[in-house]
Amino acid sequence: MTEAPVSRIRNFCIIAHIDHGKSTLADRLLQDTGTVAVRDMQEQFLDNMELERERGITIKLQAARMEYIAADGENYILNLIDTPGHVDFSYEVSRSLQACEGALLVVDASQGVEAQTLANVYLALENNLEIIPVLNKIDLPGADADRIAEEIEAIIGLDCSNAIHCSAKTGLGVPEILQAVVDRVPPPPDKVSEPLRALIFDSYYDPYRGVIVYFRVISGSLSKRDKVLLMASQKSYELDEVGVMAPDQRQVDSLHAGEVGYLSASIKAVADARVGDTITLVSNPAAEPLPGYTEAKPMVFCGLFPTDADQYPDLREALDKLQLSDAALKYEPETSSAMGFGFRCGFLGLLHMEIVQERLEREYNLDLIVTAPSVIYQVNMLDNTIMMVDNPATLPDPQKRESIEEPYVKLEIYTPNIYNGALMELCQERRGEFIDMKYITTDRVTLHYEMPLAEVVTDFFDQMKSRTKGYASMEYSLIGYRKNELVRLDVLINGEKADPLTTIVHRDKAYNVGKGLVEKLKELIPRQQFKIPIQASIGSRIIASESISAMRKDVLAKCYGGDISRKKKLLQKQAKGKKRMKAMGKVDVPQEAFMAVLKLNQ
Amino acid sequence: MVPLGDRAGGDAPAPGSASIAAYLSLLLQEIAASPPGPPLATVYFGGGTPSLLTPSQLAALLAALSCRFGLAPGAEISLELDPASFDQDRLAGYLQAGVNRVSLGGQSFDDAVLAGLGRRHRGADLLEAAGWLAKALGGGALSSWSLDLIQGLPGQDLGHWRHQLRQAIALAPPHLSVYDLILEPGTVFAQRHDRGQLQLPDADLGADLMELTWAELSAAGYGHYEISNYALPGHASRHNRVYWSGAGWWGFGMGATAAPWGERLARPRTREAYADWLAQPGSPPASAGHACPGMPLDERLLVGLRRREGVSMPTMLAQVGLGPEALAALRGRLEPWIGEGLLRIEGPRWRLSDPAGLALSNGVLRELLAWWQEQQ
Repeated sequence: MTEAPVSRIRNFCIIAHIDHGKSTLADRLLQDTGTVAVRDMQEQFLDNMELERERGITIKLQAARMEYIAADGENYILNLIDTPGHVDFSYEVSRSLQACEGALLVVDASQGVEAQTLANVYLALENNLEIIPVLNKIDLPGADADRIAEEIEAIIGLDCSNAIHCSAKTGLGVPEILQAVVDRVPPPPDKVSEPLRALIFDSYYDPYRGVIVYFRVISGSLSKRDKVLLMASQKSYELDEVGVMAPDQRQVDSLHAGEVGYLSASIKAVADARVGDTITLVSNPAAEPLPGYTEAKPMVFCGLFPTDADQYPDLREALDKLQLSDAALKYEPETSSAMGFGFRCGFLGLLHMEIVQERLEREYNLDLIVTAPSVIYQVNMLDNTIMMVDNPATLPDPQKRESIEEPYVKLEIYTPNIYNGALMELCQERRGEFIDMKYITTDRVTLHYEMPLAEVVTDFFDQMKSRTKGYASMEYSLIGYRKNELVRLDVLINGEKADPLTTIVHRDKAYNVGKGLVEKLKELIPRQQFKIPIQASIGSRIIASESISAMRKDVLAKCYGGDISRKKKLLQKQAKGKKRMKAMGKVDVPQEAFMAVLKLNQ
Repeated sequence: MVPLGDRAGGDAPAPGSASIAAYLSLLLQEIAASPPGPPLATVYFGGGTPSLLTPSQLAALLAALSCRFGLAPGAEISLELDPASFDQDRLAGYLQAGVNRVSLGGQSFDDAVLAGLGRRHRGADLLEAAGWLAKALGGGALSSWSLDLIQGLPGQDLGHWRHQLRQAIALAPPHLSVYDLILEPGTVFAQRHDRGQLQLPDADLGADLMELTWAELSAAGYGHYEISNYALPGHASRHNRVYWSGAGWWGFGMGATAAPWGERLARPRTREAYADWLAQPGSPPASAGHACPGMPLDERLLVGLRRREGVSMPTMLAQVGLGPEALAALRGRLEPWIGEGLLRIEGPRWRLSDPAGLALSNGVLRELLAWWQEQQ
């Protein structure tokens, strides 16, 4: 099975906007090459996590190996490598692109290029990938292939004279795509004789076999009897299995340069085999790892607390398990007087945070309170020490601090130029410093800003999308810390400080945020049998206040004979809903209230 | 018990028609086949349109009950009547047959409201019927009567409601039941509400309306003896008290629910299904014994705390084998309500304050139900 000469291997990925048909096309390629029989076809084979399907996004990468007899009568190995599609996972995208020589750029022929695809196209171009434009959904009445081809040429500068017209749904154009992959994607460089270097582009945790690592062999070869060394983690392992994804895992004896496969080696956690790490042989190690590896660095932090204190051990166990399959997830115990026992957790971004929360609730059946997200602040103390603070509630008092510094990012937004104004306004609101603006085409620009990370990780992404009808996309990278006039904004519910609602904000925005926050909380916290003052304060100074008036009527009008058990059930159901709230002093606060700071603009 | 007619209009059978006679024979069959029990302290003809029964049919039903169970001396025999569904002669017939209490489904004095509720009667019918009842009460033929009113109607304001209450008080009914409008799925109101066409009073106005009811009726001498019931001294409904005390009761007829020995038993809701059910061997099921207070503790608390006098908590807990520790735990759990003065503990007696505590009773009840579920 792996006698394939390097010259007959093609490694490629698909770049597409969410509903432009990436998954349907991938399914179709698997079918047309006979990799998966039609009857075994599960809808959208490549996205196999429940959550991914529901959200219509790819979070984890997957890969599939196909065999294809091309026009020249030769058998080719085509490896399709899938890419995630969210800014939180741009590092993972860059690694999977590095494993390919080509990419299919799939564009809906009725809708045209969506901005979200652009960032990945640019990444692909940077990686010198051969890009094959594919105009999908050509069978739809609204399809206008010529116009869309022109658009791609104008925006990306890609020659579309030989763009493939296709309908992944009907199968039209799919054979042409397969042939184009053979003809136009270059074969991998033949480096079989060099020492082994294989790039990890994905991994996941299997409870029976340990971590399953997906990799692309860049040079040398690997056989199932080898002992391997992971160059970044500096751990070595005896291999249990080496194989290919066809698309189910199938064991092989060896894999050589150019090939894509998986291995298992009783690796205990995905953190030991991180995406971007280089696999080499213990017996004949490569001199240098492959370039581009970086540690997963959590950017956003929040507290996770069980609504029911009895679930704390379950939460710990669930996080332990989740971390086996999520190298980017970091956590440590946190205790709060208001919230009890929980964990302080670090995430790549807001989406990552939401995914972890949803998986904990859904797969581990936990009810959670998630506190407002925060970044890591650097606090310069008067005694010349430095303190890193990832929990606003633990920010030292002003009398002890000399200054606070916050992380800044370089932010690049790709957008049609008609949205320049709206985006510049948004960046301005978010304390962005304009650096420059470059025209990529006559009507597409890149906006370049430097901005506090805290402003980016709240709801910036959603705001950017909504102000540009989804056409803009963004990327950001950390550039360092800067001093700013930051203050701690506390929230008092019924006169008691609510730690989980504490945020760190710029002094100039404190009043607006405080006012917005108390108004939002008034909306989100249900009335209780007494009046509840809600206040925002900086130190001892109240800057905004609202109050939730007392509930005066909560009663069943009528309750006789046959009706009693029905009424009982109704009240029991309501009691269950109440249990999902967290008691802050005397006040029951619902889950969503802890996220109020993210909803100030809604 | 006599779900024959259809209040929202449609083809109700005429009183005394063959259809009613057929249903009556099913009913008599069920009563005769029921296991024996102690004499009945109260009888309530309601649910549906009992006025479709002729006085002699009603007398036959009472005779059947008396024959099967016996009637306790001075038993309260209530009949539900809607204005415009009976006349003075008919009323006299019912009283002669043994009825001594009438519950009048007046709902409102406002013709537009009555039309909106799909009622057949109008304000004038209500006034006329109330006049006959007052006369019967004065003459001693009737021991008591009650008027039903609905508050919290769409578009209702304090002025409108005050006017309604004062008209009711002017009729001097010894008993008043005041209910909130409940949007039952499938009704015209529910459909209009779903379409956003119904302006129901908001939370604050709803509370104001409820407080106004309490203030007006209290001032007129009515005691607030249960969340939705008011009575002049000596006129509290004895039948309701049976439900609320957790004692057992019989229910007969389609859709009726009986709980004579703790287990509740609901009958089929259509005539055909009810007839089939009756035809099955073993229906109605044989009683394990006499009626006894077999209601679970949480339901007894649910109904008990709706009453002005509340419950004797240590006694109730003792009945399920719980002692002072459980009492203390419960007290701790309900501290927020106790602290606000909404739940009063006076010796062994736990009761919701009137009117504020009763108006917020659900909070206390939710806590009690959750506590009881944890005990299980």
